[in-house]
Amino acid sequence: MKLRAKILSGFVILSLVLLLAVVWAVHQMSTLGASAQKILDENYRSINAAEVMLGALERQDSAILLLVLGEWEQGRSILQAGDESFRAELEIAKGNVTLPGEGSLVESVDAGYAEFRKLWIRPIVGTDKEGNLDWYSKQVHPAFLQVKGRVRQLMNINDTAMYQAATDLKNQADRAVMPGVVAGVATLVLSLVFSYFVNYYMVSPILRITRGADEFLRNNKPFSVTIETRDEIARLGSVIHALCLEVSAARKKER
Amino acid sequence: MRVHVVLRYVGFSFLLNAGFLFLASLVALLHADPSFLPLIYSSLVSLLFGLFPLLFVPPTHDISNTEGLAILVFSWLACCLVGTLPYVLWGAEFTLTNAWFESVSGYTTTGSSILRNVEALPAGLLFWRSLTHWIGGMGILVFVLAILPLFAGAETTLYRAEISSLTRENFRYRTRKAIQILLVVYAGLTVTETLLLSLCGMSFFDAVTNAFATVATGGFSTRNQSIAHYQSVPMEIVIVVFMVLSGIHFGLLFSAVRGRTREVLNSSVVRYYGTALILGTLAIAWNVYGTVYESGWEAVRYALFQVVSVGTSTGFATADTTIWPPLAQWILILFTLQCACAGSTSGGIKVDRIVVFGKALARTVRKTLHPAALIPLKMDRKPMAPDLVEASLLYVLSYLSVVVCSTILLTAQGVDLLSAFTGSAACMGNVGPGFGTVGSLGNFADLPVASKWVLSITMLLGRLEIYGFLALLMPGVLRGKP
Repeated sequence: MKLRAKILSGFVILSLVLLLAVVWAVHQMSTLGASAQKILDENYRSINAAEVMLGALERQDSAILLLVLGEWEQGRSILQAGDESFRAELEIAKGNVTLPGEGSLVESVDAGYAEFRKLWIRPIVGTDKEGNLDWYSKQVHPAFLQVKGRVRQLMNINDTAMYQAATDLKNQADRAVMPGVVAGVATLVLSLVFSYFVNYYMVSPILRITRGADEFLRNNKPFSVTIETRDEIARLGSVIHALCLEVSAARKKER
Repeated sequence: MRVHVVLRYVGFSFLLNAGFLFLASLVALLHADPSFLPLIYSSLVSLLFGLFPLLFVPPTHDISNTEGLAILVFSWLACCLVGTLPYVLWGAEFTLTNAWFESVSGYTTTGSSILRNVEALPAGLLFWRSLTHWIGGMGILVFVLAILPLFAGAETTLYRAEISSLTRENFRYRTRKAIQILLVVYAGLTVTETLLLSLCGMSFFDAVTNAFATVATGGFSTRNQSIAHYQSVPMEIVIVVFMVLSGIHFGLLFSAVRGRTREVLNSSVVRYYGTALILGTLAIAWNVYGTVYESGWEAVRYALFQVVSVGTSTGFATADTTIWPPLAQWILILFTLQCACAGSTSGGIKVDRIVVFGKALARTVRKTLHPAALIPLKMDRKPMAPDLVEASLLYVLSYLSVVVCSTILLTAQGVDLLSAFTGSAACMGNVGPGFGTVGSLGNFADLPVASKWVLSITMLLGRLEIYGFLALLMPGVLRGKP
């Protein structure tokens, strides 16, 4: 291999190591951004919806108690607002099913809420349900607890998934750093090896040729330098060797 | 010593690993798992490291013994470093120390792991983990010589550096033929075991990885509960058979395949090896029957698997041996020190040296009775060279000294004595599990960082059979003044 090709390939290899690290880091960084967005899209939205649903349910439960106590106007307005809020968030949860088992859980929340809603959609004030705490404790409260439990379950699976996604995110951040470290160390080691090779196969032979030529010129010692490679330096050595032989022959003739 | 020549040959180890890493990255790609990038990146870095010296250093075939040893030791270190890369790039449980430990454990076919949850790893990395066993089991330089047959002059020197004199005893072939035999037997055992495990109902991926780990007598499994996960008697039988076969000198196995079974049966080493495994199994089965297992069948089943697993330095597990009675544990510790035959992929002191030790002891007793008698030490009716006998006996002593030193260093870091001793013995013998906190179904994750480094050096010393490593540490050797 020619000298120029050797040096060039040495630098190409060093550059390739660095290039690989850059490509990796860019890829990891873009994945990192996508993962962060995924957490927001897939988990945070569902958790938020579940939290709002829980609040709405609590308010509806209080409103039913107000209706049982005969407070029609206040009870109905709270109940109406809670119902609207719950159903709006349930729609968000339905449109954001991203985890295994989440779909069936959302469906069970929907079904449970429908059962719960059936209990209070008909008038309470002015009927036999007004003041009927037995009806509340035996029918309404268990239905409320059941829906609440399912919503909490929905929140929990998204919480767990978000924790897992955040852990993955941390690992990805670590992974984005490591190629740089590896490339740094690899480049350092390769640079040391490269400089060793340059010294051994290029600088040292030139010095040996220089010394040999110098010895020939000053002390008339025969030029004898061994070059291991078959590149330009070897050719330089053999040319100088031939030159020395000619000079030596000419000197002999002169004598 | 010519550093550039050593660098050129170490470069071939990098190229070999680059190829295998590429293979693992293809597995990752096939499974569409995220370990593809760490594996392909490591493969490319390894490729560049391998190509670098090839560009500069012209081919050299006259390699001195010192250079051969340096190539051997540095090739192993280079492989372990390359093996660390995909783990470090993956992160999670792999800190730098953990990644190095796992890589050394893989290449040296030890099988000790720092992973608490093996099953959390993607398929690509699990495959790579098992592949390191397979590369290391054969011996890195033997693999390089087998795959890249372009070192006509250097072949014998490199082969002698990698293969111990005891191993060469049973090969009556030239270097190239011996390497071919090793490769054929190794690949043959792997393919056959993979097929049999698949037939037993194991998934193809698990069958391949477990076959790699069995034939290399490594012990990395793709399951947290090792082979206990499968709860399958046929699978256990297949694995036991292949562990036993992988513990026999490959030259003898080759003879057996070619119809010369008498060579195997007449070998005193193989006879001792088989007898020790049977007696060990019976003794442990007797000990655990009624104390750990209610039925005799269960006692024999688990005793057989664990004795063969430890006695061949594989390290797979079907039972938690840390709850076995002290006698059973002691027998397993003795097998941890002894392991299987020279010329196999097994680690440890090796049965051959134990037989030589026993014969030398008997000869000394006879010489006490007849001081003037000239009693040659014979193995299979052939006299053994005195320097080989001396080297074998010295090896046993050096081996035990390393185990003791490692134990002392571990206890100095606060590791309890049982875990420190059995962990050191298991790493030195490339067995894998010990007792205490590093038991058969446990791991090495909770050991202090410094202990993991001590144990990784112990694993390398055990795999390279001490002398090669020590020779390079002699003053002046690396500077070319042997």
